[in-house]
Amino acid sequence: MASVAITPMESNFLVPNATFFVELAAFLLLLFLLAKYVIPPINRAMTARQEAIRAEFAELDEAKSEAHAAEEEFKSQIADARHEAARIREEAREQGAQIIAEMREQANTEAARIVEHAHAQIEADRKAAMAQLRSEVGMLATTLAGRIVGESLDDDVRQTRVVDRFLTELEGAS
Amino acid sequence: MTGLLPLSSSDITIGEHKTVVWLGMTFNIDTIISTLVAGGLVLLLGFWVVRQMKRTTEDHVPTKTQMLWEAVVGEVNKQVEDNLGKVHPFVAPLAISLFFFILFANWLELLPTELNHDTHLLPAPTADTNLTYALAAVTMLSVWTYGIRQKGWKGYFRHFAEPFPVLLPLNILEELIKPITLALRLFGNIFAGGIMLALIGLIPIYALWAPNLLWKAFDGVIGVIQAFIFALLTVLYFAMAGAGHEEHEIHEKYEDEQREKQAREAAPAPAH
Repeated sequence: MASVAITPMESNFLVPNATFFVELAAFLLLLFLLAKYVIPPINRAMTARQEAIRAEFAELDEAKSEAHAAEEEFKSQIADARHEAARIREEAREQGAQIIAEMREQANTEAARIVEHAHAQIEADRKAAMAQLRSEVGMLATTLAGRIVGESLDDDVRQTRVVDRFLTELEGAS
Repeated sequence: MTGLLPLSSSDITIGEHKTVVWLGMTFNIDTIISTLVAGGLVLLLGFWVVRQMKRTTEDHVPTKTQMLWEAVVGEVNKQVEDNLGKVHPFVAPLAISLFFFILFANWLELLPTELNHDTHLLPAPTADTNLTYALAAVTMLSVWTYGIRQKGWKGYFRHFAEPFPVLLPLNILEELIKPITLALRLFGNIFAGGIMLALIGLIPIYALWAPNLLWKAFDGVIGVIQAFIFALLTVLYFAMAGAGHEEHEIHEKYEDEQREKQAREAAPAPAH
């Protein structure tokens, strides 16, 4: 290793010389040119792109919210329709039940009427039969009794009295 | 070691420049040329990108060069906005220009332009203190101007005696040290890189490539880091020069409130 690595110099390299002013001017010129002609367009391009991206995102958001709204509307409509269908079904069921009840009521009334009618008929028949029986039994009995007694029992007043007594007894015995 | 090296290390000259004397002043002509080359490259890249952007206006797809610029511009804008509260129309371009210029100046060192021992066509201009002093001067003068304009003369100089008047010498010293560290940090890093390359150059050609490759890769990263640090510190110095105004007001308001509270508490005491 040579001991004189640093050769004696005319000037110390830490002390500036007139180059300083050239460098100063050069850098100031560079700064001016970049600041005036280069950096503003770059800034503009960056903001323009950011703006475009933001606009696209806003559009996207809008479309998304629109789709959401449409979906909501669709869902609510479906729900409405379901509700309506359920209501109609319920109504139909109620109507059906009502109709059945009405028919049952009608049928019951009819049945009661028929039964009533039958009862009345039977009663009338019975009465008619009874009346007929009264006259016929009396006549038959007097005829029979006349034959047996051999005497005419054609006296109507007596005959009627006898028959009535007989029938009264009969009714009282039965 | 000397056996390995065909040249002795005394052949390495340190901090020597090709000079031209004009009007009684000395100019380092090699530094000036490489400065022009570095600055020219930055401008070329810048105007190229502007031209590209003019051509593609419909879609917003950036080219690769544009992405490089936008990455740097965006990052610097963010830093400036975080530290100064807004994208300052002077600070942001200053930091961007500093970054790109220093980066290209540093990377000139990686080009093998040293033809022989006497002619180095494009040495890194940042390895000359003239350039780094000039950049630090621009930065610090701007910082001081910004600080005074933000706070006014009184406010700015009162800040030197805060938080305690005892710290006045330290605060003044700090303000003077800032430009020197700014300049010498950059200079020292790139200068040292150049010396390393010169030392590696002494290794015989068959073994030279490996350390050369490694060192140049490392030096390229150093170039980026130094450019980044210079630009970042510039922004931070601006922030320091402009900050503190509102904080002090808040602080004073708080102190006033405390005083009032104490006075209120002290007043009813004699009544007892």
